[in-house]
Amino acid sequence: MLNQDAYTEAFEALLPTLPDAEREARREQLARFFGSGLPDRSLETFKYSDFTALAATPYRLAEMADAGDLSAWMLADADTRVWVNGHAQTPGAAETTEVEGPTSAPAHDGLAALNAAFARPGLQLHLRRGEQQTRPLHILNVSAPAAAGRMIHLRHRIRLEAGASATVVLHDVGLGDAERWITQTLEIDLADNARLQLVRIQDESPSTHCWFQATARIQRDARIELLPVDFGGALVRNDLRLLLQAPGAECGLHGLFAPAGRSHVDNHTVIEHQSPHGISREFCRGLAWDQAHAVFNGRIVVHPGAQKTDSEQRIANLVIGKGAEINAKPELEIHADDVKCAHGATFGQLDETALFYLRSRGVPEATARSLLTFSFAGDVLRRISWPGLREAVTRRFLQRMGGGLDAAELDTGVQQ
Amino acid sequence: MTTLLEVSNLHATVGDTEILKGLDLSIRAGEVHAVMGPNGAGKSTLSKILAGSEDYVVTAGTIRLDGQDLNDMAPEERAAAGIFLGFQYPVEIPGVSNMVFLKAAFNAQRKQRGEPELDAGEFLAWVRHRVKQMKMDPQMLHRGVNEGFSGGEKKRNEILQMLVLEPKLMVLDETDSGLDIDALKIVAEGINAMRSPQRATLLVTHYQRLLDHVQPDFVHVLAGGRIVKSGGPELARELEEKGYGWLQAA
Ligand SMILES: Nc1ncnc2c1ncn2[C@@H]1O[C@H](COP(=O)(O)OP(=O)(O)OP(=O)(O)O)[C@@H](O)[C@H]1O
Ligand SMILES: [Mg+2]
Repeated sequence: MLNQDAYTEAFEALLPTLPDAEREARREQLARFFGSGLPDRSLETFKYSDFTALAATPYRLAEMADAGDLSAWMLADADTRVWVNGHAQTPGAAETTEVEGPTSAPAHDGLAALNAAFARPGLQLHLRRGEQQTRPLHILNVSAPAAAGRMIHLRHRIRLEAGASATVVLHDVGLGDAERWITQTLEIDLADNARLQLVRIQDESPSTHCWFQATARIQRDARIELLPVDFGGALVRNDLRLLLQAPGAECGLHGLFAPAGRSHVDNHTVIEHQSPHGISREFCRGLAWDQAHAVFNGRIVVHPGAQKTDSEQRIANLVIGKGAEINAKPELEIHADDVKCAHGATFGQLDETALFYLRSRGVPEATARSLLTFSFAGDVLRRISWPGLREAVTRRFLQRMGGGLDAAELDTGVQQ
Repeated sequence: MTTLLEVSNLHATVGDTEILKGLDLSIRAGEVHAVMGPNGAGKSTLSKILAGSEDYVVTAGTIRLDGQDLNDMAPEERAAAGIFLGFQYPVEIPGVSNMVFLKAAFNAQRKQRGEPELDAGEFLAWVRHRVKQMKMDPQMLHRGVNEGFSGGEKKRNEILQMLVLEPKLMVLDETDSGLDIDALKIVAEGINAMRSPQRATLLVTHYQRLLDHVQPDFVHVLAGGRIVKSGGPELARELEEKGYGWLQAA
């Protein structure tokens, strides 16, 4: 049973901080949340991820806190804006508290309503016509060590007008190991010819539960490249939805899922070709260490009339831990006849021939395995076009992998 | 001259199939041997077994390098002991650069032998010089191992690796196939540069043309899992003329 008393108490504490005009709408969202509740396994799309386990916990909104020294998380050559426990730290970073409602059906009504009822403003990026953002924007979202049972809800918005371009990284870092519950939604609009590379790094603590939903509407000849990278969390669910709404719209969705420990990471992606001549590429790699469980469900829908769609989806998985598991399922729904769609999922072990090749040169078996694992993940890592970020994510991946490979020695192309 | 490689009565199977059926081969330091034979005869099998492939089970016989029994040695231990296999089909490892791969291999071998490792600067100098020798673009060092390389470039890269690692026994499995005329010369020069009284070479090939550049001391015919005939360089020419039919009939 959902702990309505606790959520109501948290809501009443939030209310006085909100502008009058918003209060009623927020209250409605809370009621909607109570009506829909949290998703459980009876829903086909949540069959691996049961959020009702969180229902009884009396969560309170996380207070503003001092996250201490964050230099380890900073990235060179970026404009960094910091949120701690859902509170913006950089002055002017979130000048609006207005929360826009979602413009398409959410992945789950209850989760969306929970977020809408409680969310603080996160990134609000709006680039005007033709504006080229020169430095990557680094949104560092820190959960500071705190008492257990805190929740954080954020709402992000990216709007690029015609011809604008930007590189953004949403970087979630969990410090300490208290139990937390975090929801975030991100609404993206790319007008004609806009370009966005968006990297999301989820590096939450092992006892943090997360729901993240991104919805992107992509217009004529605009292009988004979304690179979600998951390292941490306890129960994690990401809903990533890319809607190609006008002719020539293009998207790349290249994910790396690398959970360890007892982490459960469930990625549901949907790419909708709603208009002709759209291009989509989805190349995702999943790895699971220890007792981790990764789920990947990749749906591609080609709507009637979306002729000349060109879509390719490749999913590859590598189960490393003896107790680890990966469930991957591509779903293709095609309602147009003149389309090019290729897809495939492979499950695997490391390639034995490649392993023998490395060892025959003198590379010890453990190092050879690490190099091949790195090669496997590198297929996504190397697509991060900003060198400083690519290096940071690579470093984090190597740390996850263990085996003593050193990013500085790996010649990932950064130094050239 | 001392015997470097001694293979005696080698039997090997894959699954239920016996591929090598009592193979004998003895190579002394300083020599170049060529192994020829029909497709499917077991030439690559022999090469891979020498390097320690776990795809095959050695059911009888012994392999000794410098008198040391290789049977229980892992591929990386054999590499450190001095065996190098140039693959018939070199493997691509995207995202792991040639430089990283070479350095990992080189220093691991040194460590295994109790020799000092080279630091980044020293190793770069060691490699650069050999890249030039193979007339390769130094930029290739920063590309993934064989990633997107043409067939010929892969073979040239095998020889580069060999020059860098300086093995004692060079087993080259069809390194000549897929090479254009100029590349064949460069590869042959690379092999010849490595020849020394302490080292030996085992060339697996189908064609005389490599042997025009790298003169073998002995030529063997491998057929049906055994060495069925051995001779001098003239045997290769004879085979090119007559094929293998006359041998199998005998
Ligand atoms: N892993 C395997 N499983 C089954 N059969 C195998 C395997 N590896 C080799 N063989 C078989 O063993 C035989 C010898 O193969 P090998 O590759 O050694 O031949 P080869 O002499 O190198 O031929 P080629 O001149 O075509 O390169 C072939 O009949 C081959 O099909
Ligand atoms: Mg062969």
